[in-house]
Amino acid sequence: MDAECLGNRLTEKFADRVEWTARSKKRLYLRVDPAVLEEVFGALRSELPQIRLCTSTGLDTRGGVEVFHHLSPYGLPLVVTLKIEGRKPLPSLPSLGRIHSAAIFIEREISDFLGVDFVGHPDPRRLLKARAFGDDVHPLRRDFDVREFKRGIGEEPEF
Amino acid sequence: MKQVIRIGPFHPLQEEPESFLLTVEGERVIDVDAKLGYVHKGLERLCQERTYDMIPIILERICGICSVTHSVCFCHAVEDIHGVEIPPRARYIRTILGEMERLHSHLLWVGLAGHFIGYNTVFMWAWKYREPVCDAFEWLTGHRQNASLLKVGGVRRDLPVDSFPAVLKVLDELEGQTKMLIGAVLDDPVLAARLKGIGVLTPEQVLDWGVVGPTARASGVKTDARKDEPYAAYAELDWNLIVQPEGDVFAKAVVRLLEILESIRILRQAIAKFPPGEIDCGPLHVPQGEGIGRYEAPRGEDIHYVRSNGTNMPSRVKVRAPSFVNIPSYRASCIGGTISDVTITLAACDPCYSCTERLAAVRRDDGGPPLSFDDLVRLGREKTRAIAREMGRKPDLGLEIRP
Repeated sequence: MDAECLGNRLTEKFADRVEWTARSKKRLYLRVDPAVLEEVFGALRSELPQIRLCTSTGLDTRGGVEVFHHLSPYGLPLVVTLKIEGRKPLPSLPSLGRIHSAAIFIEREISDFLGVDFVGHPDPRRLLKARAFGDDVHPLRRDFDVREFKRGIGEEPEF
Repeated sequence: MKQVIRIGPFHPLQEEPESFLLTVEGERVIDVDAKLGYVHKGLERLCQERTYDMIPIILERICGICSVTHSVCFCHAVEDIHGVEIPPRARYIRTILGEMERLHSHLLWVGLAGHFIGYNTVFMWAWKYREPVCDAFEWLTGHRQNASLLKVGGVRRDLPVDSFPAVLKVLDELEGQTKMLIGAVLDDPVLAARLKGIGVLTPEQVLDWGVVGPTARASGVKTDARKDEPYAAYAELDWNLIVQPEGDVFAKAVVRLLEILESIRILRQAIAKFPPGEIDCGPLHVPQGEGIGRYEAPRGEDIHYVRSNGTNMPSRVKVRAPSFVNIPSYRASCIGGTISDVTITLAACDPCYSCTERLAAVRRDDGGPPLSFDDLVRLGREKTRAIAREMGRKPDLGLEIRP
């Protein structure tokens, strides 16, 4: 199944709650209403049973934080990217980690660096961000101030 | 009674900075928690402030083993945005570099796995056989690890064709040595008793945790970016996907050992078919857009996402190394086992913490400034010359490539 065919099938099912573009037969990008994220993932699983989350990318935009979930089925040349967006100042999005273990680590990382609250995440602790960064400091945000961070250096690391 | 055992923050055996908390009941492990972040230095952010030409060199330094992996994967992502096809010679060069890297990485793991279970003979054999592979990498690229050879649209420098006979000789010797190693490891009843049936990952767990590479293939899941989405020259070469159904640590060792023979097969064909022509398609303007690159690293599928805003610097680079998805699967493979099995089970996915956290750093022990690139090249060459002399080899073979 190529990207265009999959995009059409999802549009039939979710109407205007998904909007797709296919850059090639191998790459499908879907803008998804966060409210139907789990349903879209479920529909992808029923179309492609071997699909799994490869990784997710967090991106700070002007009005919010976008999260791109990159999914790919084992054995096929296809990557499906589900794009969801949460509004600032406290972006909140549904967690994929609740239903797919592969998302647990990467959602923790995005929470660390971009301050996204993944609702329903089974283990919402820090992963990579050092203690020197406060809970409300997110180093991949555009408004992150390095000088502010440097004042925190010197604290004992947490083991 | 439940107890918590902490391994780390500096792992005593893997000698890398990570911390594991094992919750045990008697000898039985009932929970595993991994704490990471000790070497994170924000490499993705750094890439947002560098040009497309500089980034492959930065990404080479993510990991000391997978230096080719991350550069090629980034190039794939940018080439996906641009839609450019790279010249055939560049594709073959990328294939040769990738397989040389897989050879020395798998041999490194086989040695470490032997060391972890107290079988140091395997450790010494495997690392001894690995050295000529690193030497051959230097003959081909001028450096044992970070060759700085990759660029978007091709490669920076050609391979010296006159070093191919010496490389093929190394591969011939390595094939015999690997077969001996395979026989010694796979026929050993003690190793079978120690490694079979422990750290099992089922295909369902592989899918749930998104596990990749030899760790997934050892559970019967047919996945390999070289087959799934062929890049470089892999579609033109004849090679087999190694899959084992058992899912235990022994199966992971079998997959990696047999993949060494497949890599030798790929390298021989790539050298035999090495095409003439250009190695680079010239300067590229990266248009506005987004692209995804996939690459089969020695530890599994590497994936990069790059977003371009049309300038000479990307607005976002996302790196996902294979260990990032393989490490969390410890919760599936370790729970239910005994404490004594945890060490080798943790090592069985060949974890790389620098990849996971995206940093590799070189620092001098005496607190002085870090070694410069020239210092590292000089030290590497001096050592290679000395070892070659000791082994009675032609000391300057390959070193004339880059005076």
